[in-house]
Amino acid sequence: MEKINEFIKKAVSRRSFMAGAGTAAAAAFLAGCNDATAPPSSAPPSGGTTTPPASKPDNDVLNFALNLEYLEAEFYLYAATGKGLSSADAGSGAGTTKVPAGIAAVPWASSGLAQYANEIAQDEVNHVRFLQKAITGNGGMPVSRPDIDLTFFAPLAVAAGITTTPTFNPFAGPSPFLIGAFVFEDVGVTAYHGAAGLLAEKTILGAAAGILGVEAYHAAAIRTLLVGMAAATSDQTYVDIANKVSALRATLGGGNETTLTSKSIVAADTTNAIAFARMTDQVLHIVYGATGAGLSKGGFFPSGLNGTIKATAS
Amino acid sequence: MANQETKQLDQIISSRRAMMTMGGAALAGLILTSTGKAQSATLTDKDVLNFALNLEYLEAQFYNLAAFGVTIDKLPTPIPVAPNASLGAAGTVTLKPSFAKVPFSNPLIADYAMETAIEEGKHVTFLQGALGSNAVSMPDIDLYTSFNTLAMAAGIGLAFDPFANDANFLIGAYIFEDVGVTAYHGAAGAITSKSILGAAAGILAVEAYHAGLIRTAINQLDAGSGALASLTQKISATRSKLANPSGTPVDDIGLTTVNVSLNASATNYPATTFVDADANSVAFARTPAQVIQIVTGGSATNKGVFFPGGLNGTIK
Repeated sequence: MEKINEFIKKAVSRRSFMAGAGTAAAAAFLAGCNDATAPPSSAPPSGGTTTPPASKPDNDVLNFALNLEYLEAEFYLYAATGKGLSSADAGSGAGTTKVPAGIAAVPWASSGLAQYANEIAQDEVNHVRFLQKAITGNGGMPVSRPDIDLTFFAPLAVAAGITTTPTFNPFAGPSPFLIGAFVFEDVGVTAYHGAAGLLAEKTILGAAAGILGVEAYHAAAIRTLLVGMAAATSDQTYVDIANKVSALRATLGGGNETTLTSKSIVAADTTNAIAFARMTDQVLHIVYGATGAGLSKGGFFPSGLNGTIKATAS
Repeated sequence: MANQETKQLDQIISSRRAMMTMGGAALAGLILTSTGKAQSATLTDKDVLNFALNLEYLEAQFYNLAAFGVTIDKLPTPIPVAPNASLGAAGTVTLKPSFAKVPFSNPLIADYAMETAIEEGKHVTFLQGALGSNAVSMPDIDLYTSFNTLAMAAGIGLAFDPFANDANFLIGAYIFEDVGVTAYHGAAGAITSKSILGAAAGILAVEAYHAGLIRTAINQLDAGSGALASLTQKISATRSKLANPSGTPVDDIGLTTVNVSLNASATNYPATTFVDADANSVAFARTPAQVIQIVTGGSATNKGVFFPGGLNGTIK
C-alpha cells in the first residue's frame, strides 16, 4: 500500500506541476492528502458577525461549499425565472444579490436550452438545501447567503479580454448564458475535488463525492452544448470566449484548466485523465477575481464568503 | 462477495444510500451514527483499485474499439492487458464477426468517442501504475452477445449493435458511463488512503464528465423525437432492477422531461434529466456487489454478459 501512496503522490505532484500550479500548490494539496484532519490553515481570525460556531472541521468545509452553491443557485435561478432564492432557502439575515438592471429570465426562444438551465437550477437549489441540512445534522450552523454580485460578469469579461467595456450580461441570451454557466461549473468540480482531502467524516465525504459528480455532469453538458452549437452554426465565437474565461481562471486559480474543443470536452490532466483539484485559496482567487494573500472579499462576493474559510493565505 | 463481513458492509453502505435518498433529515440522523471506520476491515485499497481496473478495462476496450477499431493492446502505444504475468494471462475480447469501428457520420460524435477512448485508456494505465505488481490482468470481456442479451432484458429488441452507427454508439456508451460514476462513488467509502481517495474522486469526476457528455449528446441528437430518450429510460430501469432486485430503491434515471418548482414558485418548469442523481441532486452510489450484478446481468455466479468469466481480483 505504501507503494500505491507513493505512486499517487508522485502522479498528483506531477499533475499539479504540469498544470502550472507550482510547488506551493502541490505541497498544499499533498498536505491535504494526509490522514490528519486539522482544519484548513487558511482560516482567518473571525472578524464578522455572521461567522457561526463551527464545532467540527468538516462544517467549515461544508459552509465553504455552501457559499459556492448559493452563488450557483442565484445565477441559475435568475437565468431560469428572473428571480433568486426564496428567503427561506437564503437563510435568516441573508445578504443581498446585485443583478443587472431590468433582470428577467434569459430569453430562451427556441434554443432548447431552457430545459438544461431548469435542471441545473433545481440541482443547485437542492445542493443548497442538502448542505444546510448536512451541516445542521453535523452539529454546526449553516451560513446564510452572503452578498452576491451577479453584475461581476461584466468586469470579469473585460479582465478576460472578451470585451473592452464592462457590458457582458450572461442573462442577455442563450449563448451568453452558456458562458455565464461556464464561468462556474468546472470550478465547482475542482473545488469539491480539492475539498475531498479536507473532509474527515466518511458519510460527509460520500455526499460531497456525489455532489462532485453532479457538478461534473453539469460542466460536461455546458461544454458539450458550447461545442455543439459552434458546430451547428459554423461559428466558434462562444467557444473562443469560453476559452478566454478558462485562461483567466487558470491565471487566477493555479492552472488546472483544459482548453475546450470538440476533442477535449473533459477538463482533466493530460497524463492520467484525472479531474483537477483546487485548494480553497485557488477557488477564492477565482470567485474574488484577484490573486494574492489576505483577500477576503471581491468579485462575485463583494462582502466575502460567510464562514471561517474566507480569506486567502497565499 | 458471499462472506458475512462483506454482506454487513454492503448493508451498511446500501442503507446509508437509501437514507440519503430519503432526504436531509435522514442524513442528519445518520451522520450522528456514522459507522465509516468499520468499512476498512474487509476491503483493502488494493482490492478496490483492482475492482475499478476491471471496469476500466471494459470501458477502455469498448471506446477504443469504437473509435479506433482495435483493442488497447494493439494501439500504436499499446496498453498492457496482462501487466503482471504471474497474476494470470489476459482474457479475450469477444466481438461480432467482421467487426469494424463505428462508421461515424457526425464528426463531433467521432471526436467524443476518441476523447473518451483516450481518457479511459489513461485510467487503465494509471490504475496499473498505482497497483504495480498487484495489478490484475484483463478478464474475458464480451462486447457482442452482451449487448444482445441486455437489449432483450431491457425490452429494446432481440439484438443491439453499439458499433453500428452514431446513435447506437451513444446508447452503448450510456450503458457504461453512469455505472462508472456510481461505482467510484460507492467505493469511496471503502478507501482508507487519503491520496488514493483524492485520485478516485478525480476519476469519478471524469466519469461524470463522460456521462454528462453522452447524455447531452444523446439529447441533442434526439431533437425532440424521444426515440433515444426512450432507450435510455429502458436501460436505466434495467440497471436499477439489476442493482436492486426488490425494485427499491430506484437508483437510475433515464433521459426525460420532469417539472421542477425551482425557487418555490407556483410555476412548474420543464427540465431535462441529463443528470443521473437522487432527490437531493447527489449522484447515486452503488456497492461493488451491485455494480457486479449490473455488468454480469444479474448472474447468480457473478459471471456473464460483459464479464463471461467474472472479474479478476478479490472483489468478484
